[in-house]
Amino acid sequence: MELTDMQLDGLREISNIGSGTAATALSSMLGRTVDLKVPRALALDLADAVEAVGSPEDPVTAVVLGVFGDLEATVVLLFDPASAATVCTLLGVDPEDSEMALSALGEVGNILGSSYVGAMGQMAGLDLEPQPPVALADMLGAIVASALASTAMDTDLALLLDSEMLVEGAECSFGVLFVPTADGVGRLLTGLGLGEAA
Amino acid sequence: MPELMARMAEIAVSRHEADVLVALGLGSCIGLALLDRGSPVAGLAHVVLPESREGTSVPGKFADTAVPELLRQMVALGATKSRLQAVLVGGAQMFATGASGSLDIGRRNEQAVRTALSVAGIAITVAVTGGSSGRTMRVHLATGLITCKAAGSVEEPIASRSPMKLKVAA
Repeated sequence: MELTDMQLDGLREISNIGSGTAATALSSMLGRTVDLKVPRALALDLADAVEAVGSPEDPVTAVVLGVFGDLEATVVLLFDPASAATVCTLLGVDPEDSEMALSALGEVGNILGSSYVGAMGQMAGLDLEPQPPVALADMLGAIVASALASTAMDTDLALLLDSEMLVEGAECSFGVLFVPTADGVGRLLTGLGLGEAA
Repeated sequence: MPELMARMAEIAVSRHEADVLVALGLGSCIGLALLDRGSPVAGLAHVVLPESREGTSVPGKFADTAVPELLRQMVALGATKSRLQAVLVGGAQMFATGASGSLDIGRRNEQAVRTALSVAGIAITVAVTGGSSGRTMRVHLATGLITCKAAGSVEEPIASRSPMKLKVAA
């Protein structure tokens, strides 16, 4: 799989629209403005893809959603421990109660993931169905590598659409990753009228 | 102690006693370490998937191609195949969701590594596998000690280089 700069730009744009929609949904959930950094569209080999996201041993709380329908992908939200605690507090959940905290973050992931994927599907004219989220706390590398592994069968190059969101007035930022299979990248590009992956 | 990283789909080998081979944050991937009972040569593969399709350019990615490639690189550094012992770490099920390829991938990885080792005639001395936690593993060449650190836990020794059995002439 090889992608041209124009194709990467198009994928970054669709990720921008997806994450913009997701940020608006989260904003009404938290009652705070949620800002968005310009997303990155990265096509990297597996080892570099993990490191582009963060330090592999860092403790994170992640929310993972499978996406099925016209293409297969995995959505991963990544919170550092402080940001995870802040989101819980904003939602009125005690961050020390790990079961409740994971459940609250799972709900955030549900809303963010489904609005992100919904907007993306609409843009590309694809029917995308997000699955129920799974929330877990573990090492960043173990989570990101496991998400990448499921999409790595047919390609040595991983495509990552990476957005960062910041909750205004709170020490809180987190990442949203969209990881399609190689076949899924092709379907996204076709849907966007950007040709095929070489 | 220089740390040589075996990142996702990579293989690290060394014969220098000062070196430490490391695989950080293993989830569904398998860290496969090989120790040579008769020399400091050691290797570590960070295996991502069970079986290759034809013509992969990244042999470290798949169990069936990583094992022969790891062997080749270690023998080139002076290891002797009949003296090798294997240690497995990882193969967790981090989350039961994601693209359909992720189903049970950790367990399938472990099985494929075990099969490839058995084909190569290499015995497994220790396996710290399965479960649902990420793990980091380190292989210390000087001592032949292998450690494992699970997420939210402390680093613990799990295996060491077995002494070579000396053949005594009758």
